[in-house]
Amino acid sequence: MNYQNEQNNAITARNISKVFHIFEDSQNTVKQRLFNLFNTPHAKEIYALKPMDLDIKKGECLGLIGRNGSGKSTLVRLLAKVYPTDTGYIKVQGTTMLMNIGVGMSHELTARENIYISGSVLGLKIKEIDALFDAIIEFAELKEFVDTKIKYFSSGMLARLAFSIAVNVRADVMFLDEIFAVGDVKFQEKAIKIFEKSWIEEKTVVLISHNMDVIKNYCQRVAYIKKGNLEYIGNPEIAIEMYLKENHEVA
Amino acid sequence: MIFNIINDWFKGTNKLERFWLLAKIEYKLRYYENTLGLLWALVKPISEIFIYYVAFELILKQEIPNFVSFLFLGLILWNFFVESSTGTIQILATKKYLYEYTNMNKMEIYLSVIGSNLIGMGFNFLMFLAYYLLFNSGTYISWHVIFFIPIILNLIILSLAFSLILSNIYLIAKDIQQVWAIVVGLAFWISPLLFKLDILRARLPGVDYINPISSIVINARRIILENTLPEWDLFFWGFIYSGFFLFIGIYLLNKLGSKAAEKL
Repeated sequence: MNYQNEQNNAITARNISKVFHIFEDSQNTVKQRLFNLFNTPHAKEIYALKPMDLDIKKGECLGLIGRNGSGKSTLVRLLAKVYPTDTGYIKVQGTTMLMNIGVGMSHELTARENIYISGSVLGLKIKEIDALFDAIIEFAELKEFVDTKIKYFSSGMLARLAFSIAVNVRADVMFLDEIFAVGDVKFQEKAIKIFEKSWIEEKTVVLISHNMDVIKNYCQRVAYIKKGNLEYIGNPEIAIEMYLKENHEVA
Repeated sequence: MIFNIINDWFKGTNKLERFWLLAKIEYKLRYYENTLGLLWALVKPISEIFIYYVAFELILKQEIPNFVSFLFLGLILWNFFVESSTGTIQILATKKYLYEYTNMNKMEIYLSVIGSNLIGMGFNFLMFLAYYLLFNSGTYISWHVIFFIPIILNLIILSLAFSLILSNIYLIAKDIQQVWAIVVGLAFWISPLLFKLDILRARLPGVDYINPISSIVINARRIILENTLPEWDLFFWGFIYSGFFLFIGIYLLNKLGSKAAEKL
């Protein structure tokens, strides 16, 4: 990969991998650590991601598929720089935002405060958030609950708020982890509509889904992951076929 | 390593705004949630002053001039240190929502909490000045007060350093809280906070160099209560000492804190 190509990348990852060390007997206190100074605990090593290279181009929608436990979520967390990588490096141009059930909101704060914090964390100025504020609240259908702490929200209300923040306050690179499972049917329709209208175009999106129709509809390229290995990246048809084949083998 | 963090810090355009927003919300969470609100921020130092006044002035008769002001000033600085260190041990857990979904720099979280504590200290300092100038006869503030700025800077570095050290150790040893409570207790009693400096120095020589809060308290009292220059060797030693701890803190943040999202 030459320098010219990397310029067009939103994310460049080289030789990245991740191993989780799971300790059988946890050493969580100063006392335990002192008593076991010369007695290293047994750690189970779980190779969540084997070394891989990955380029995500600016403006593309990349699909990420694989069975449960294949390492999709770990990969996304590495790429979003939430987890550090064990080997190699990741270059990200701009802000990243990871979205699954939530988008990083504090339950001790009100909807208003969470909107301002999320917006600010993603690089917006206060004035820019002011301008977006009403649209966010309206889309989330939470007009009467602007100054209510979100710990009193129902799970549906929380999900709507999170989705609305994510739609309106975009990061440069969005990682969407099964987001179409949010809210009731009516809200889902609304979510898909806004997603198609303003989100997918010219925005860098990494989409994780078990729904192959969603992947087919929106992704120009698809990465297929199996047991922490990047098996294939490219044509969506081929990737989906490989994934379905694996599912059949297991069945 | 440090250069990278500072570089990253200044690159963003809305970082100052974000710092202020996070500090404000943190401050609000702490004081506006109770019925007594901001009053609590004052009740604490006033009740402490009352207790120590009875013990050290009425009973032990140390005969320190303007003892209440002497205590008030020391306690404001001390409480800032304790709130910024003990109060932030679990910061990586309570503020996880800020870094769990984005690539936000964790250092910003620490600085915003320090910022919120600075607002609190600012209010207390105004109360102190009002008391000092109105209720003590013949007291005044001289130009020496400009040295208060570097002294506060030293205090911020020291507090940030311990905030980083403790909260990152918390990731691997949850009972650091109890251990630190003992250290803080020691640091409080073996310091010039309550005692006449001459007596402390005579009985425990060198303690003002070992306890990093000492240089800050001693020099703040010199410039404000005594209208004299700081003790320069203590003044510079304070910066070297707290800078050393900050270096350890940043090292731990890079070493342990980077894995906070997966460990907590």
